[in-house]
Amino acid sequence: MMKTTTLKPFDTTKHVWNTRDAWHLLTRSGFGTTEAKVKQATREGLNKTVERILEMQPESDDFQKTQSLIEETAFDTGNIVDLQAWWFYRMIHTANPLHEKMTLLWHNHFATSNRKIRSVDSMSEQNELLRRHALGDFRKMLHQMSKNPAMLVWLDGNANKKRHPNENFSRELMELFSLGVGNYTEKDILEAARAFTGWHTKDDEFWFDKNQHDEGKKSVFGKSGNLNGGDIVDLCLKQKACPEFLAFKILREFVMGKPDRKTIETLAKCIRNRNYAMNFVMKELFSSELFFDSANRNSIIKSPVQFLVGTVRTLAGSVNLRELAGLSARLGQDLFQPPTVKGWDGGRLWINAANLVMRFNFASDYCLGSKNGKISDEFLSKMVEGSLSEAEIVTRLGNLLFASPIEQKTRDNLIADFKEQKSNRIDSLRGLLRMMTSLPEYQLS
Amino acid sequence: MFRRSFLKQAAGVGIVSLSGIAPSFLTRAFATDVRNSPTKGRILVLVQMAGGNDGLNTVIPHGDAEYYKARPGIGIPKQNVLKIDEHLGLNPQLAGLKELYDEGSLAIVQGVGYPNPNRSHFRSMDIWESANVKTDSIETGWLGRAFDEKLKNAKSSAEIPALAVGMERTPLSLVSRKTAIPTVRDISSFKLKRMQSAQREKVFDTIFASRLASETENPELAFLKQTSKTSLVAAQKLQEVTANYKPAVPYPAHRLGQQFKTVAQLIAGEFSSRCYFLSLGGFDTHSKQQGAQQALLGELSTGIHAFFADLKKHKLQDRVLLATFSEFGRRVGENASLGTDHGAAAPMFVVSPNGKGGLIGKHPSLTDLTRGDLKHHTDFRSVYATILEKWMEIPSSKILGQKFPMIDFV
Repeated sequence: MMKTTTLKPFDTTKHVWNTRDAWHLLTRSGFGTTEAKVKQATREGLNKTVERILEMQPESDDFQKTQSLIEETAFDTGNIVDLQAWWFYRMIHTANPLHEKMTLLWHNHFATSNRKIRSVDSMSEQNELLRRHALGDFRKMLHQMSKNPAMLVWLDGNANKKRHPNENFSRELMELFSLGVGNYTEKDILEAARAFTGWHTKDDEFWFDKNQHDEGKKSVFGKSGNLNGGDIVDLCLKQKACPEFLAFKILREFVMGKPDRKTIETLAKCIRNRNYAMNFVMKELFSSELFFDSANRNSIIKSPVQFLVGTVRTLAGSVNLRELAGLSARLGQDLFQPPTVKGWDGGRLWINAANLVMRFNFASDYCLGSKNGKISDEFLSKMVEGSLSEAEIVTRLGNLLFASPIEQKTRDNLIADFKEQKSNRIDSLRGLLRMMTSLPEYQLS
Repeated sequence: MFRRSFLKQAAGVGIVSLSGIAPSFLTRAFATDVRNSPTKGRILVLVQMAGGNDGLNTVIPHGDAEYYKARPGIGIPKQNVLKIDEHLGLNPQLAGLKELYDEGSLAIVQGVGYPNPNRSHFRSMDIWESANVKTDSIETGWLGRAFDEKLKNAKSSAEIPALAVGMERTPLSLVSRKTAIPTVRDISSFKLKRMQSAQREKVFDTIFASRLASETENPELAFLKQTSKTSLVAAQKLQEVTANYKPAVPYPAHRLGQQFKTVAQLIAGEFSSRCYFLSLGGFDTHSKQQGAQQALLGELSTGIHAFFADLKKHKLQDRVLLATFSEFGRRVGENASLGTDHGAAAPMFVVSPNGKGGLIGKHPSLTDLTRGDLKHHTDFRSVYATILEKWMEIPSSKILGQKFPMIDFV
């Protein structure tokens, strides 16, 4: 049976699909974009582009080999920075940026920190779980996450015993992973904790310790019986608050910095109708009026990962992955080591004087070239092909970097400065790009 | 000159009144001497001793025979102890701290801990940093909550209330809801790279040529434009100030020493932070304790000593209060590997030239123990409460969950 959409679809009778729409879709669903991709998306139209984004595109052999090599290195060294470098490699080079962005969203959602886990193997395993279900069935992911060894260690699963139920897990399951604060009672948490007793790990794997499991009758969200952990997960998924909570997270990441009640409820309805199938939910979202609304463009402050990866993907070049991971951590986004189980709230919290100076310095280093990375000469040559004037180049780059045209005065200054450069074209271009990626406008997605 | 052209712009654009987030750094940068308002200029420096420092070999009860009975191998010989009185003294590596003590600037708060001490590094450090002794989910640090309290009416802030120096990630103590605390390796993190002064004005003018967006148009863009301006001005000011800053004393070459130098530079540079966090690790001395702990205590002492000596020469010492903390002390009896295992109560150092020095509280009994560990008589949250109320002038009971008795060190 064909499901009807919940979100109002993009109305092609009201507006014609254009380059800016294509750019918006590509950059929001990924990390930056290229001119070629924007051209292709403009040509192919909304539906085909959305299909393309959601489908798993094949990765090149080179990608597979390299990412595997880096991951192996991380397993060998046991150093979390190497695993961070691996993930940065994936985000920068993947043919499927949406999948990586969704994985990152779930990492933030199920925030687990290596600071306590202290195991590259465990964190990698959890990351694989997130990626496997990133655009899949959230119900499956929640069930599997409740048995994920890293998660159980993180939330003191092994301390959850028959005679002394440990609430940490059941509390976070409800508060942070499915329902959000306040959508359960303390009694629900306590009873749910009993249902999870015996859910332990042994030798870094999930192990159900029957002797520690409370077989008694529990009552959660009005349902009674000899409930076990799986039953609790199902009950959480049935609560009205669950799709609303997920809707909030998804909107905040892809659509608007401060999702309003009405929009949350609409997307929640979509999630419920689609039975938590993320692939269909994101398809509807990316094809909706809401997503392309001008009020929602240029409205999300880039996270450190979005800023760094987006820049490297857009302005092709080479970069030292471990240094990048370290910089991301100093900017506030330490992959695999979120500050608390609440994850990163993001938004304006990413920005303060010190972080901005670090972002400006990255822009300088990457654009002008440094030992930690630089835009390739090849990319720059392409940008000045066809004897374009300075104004045309500034326009061309502006279209690639910003959601909306920059102000006339800024534009004039950039052009004037570019004209005045005494160095060769390529070096002047580096200077221009440094200025452009230092603009406040560039911090917005 | 940059400053002139910037002021010209600022006047035309009304930067100060935008969106309720007063760019107070700017107003301070061009305002009257901060030092005229005593509490406004006050600074807290926290030094974390990670791993669980052995308090018993730090503040040594050399007059108690039990000490030498419990530590035949690692007890510090009486003649080496830097004596405070006939009962207590400091580890020989703490000469710098001893000097501060003799001056009246060092308070030694004895027997600090909390009920039902936890002996896990992570758990106990989380307890110290969050000031939360229950097994709740921990989200914020005690200082983070202090910052949130100060920003009560603002939705968020572009100001930097604190700085973690030399750390890769924000320490829990500083984690707050409303503001993100940056970590910096050193001052060079604030230096704008690759901008010779001739070029800098051009770049700034280009970046800020556009008018500040209004809140209604695009609130996030308005916020970013404003913060960008503030940041660049801060970086500029910092470069000017630290370029002119000369440490008045030599700092020890070790990492902590250099970090203290950075903090002194920032304080002297009137950087907006009121709080600095440093960390020294390696105190988890389960075996062959003597060498390891002596080295670390030496770094701590020489670092703190140089820091305050430098501040004094710059006439800034009265504005700074420094406190050390560790996740727990260590067991009274040495173990079989000439080391000690995780314990409980331990002393805290509070250096405050503006405050009162001395010994605070009695040394815990070496015989009346809990499972071989020293009993605490002073809750660490009392120390925090005192710092919050008496030094930072912020009410403490909301931040700490209840009222704690004040301690007389400031």
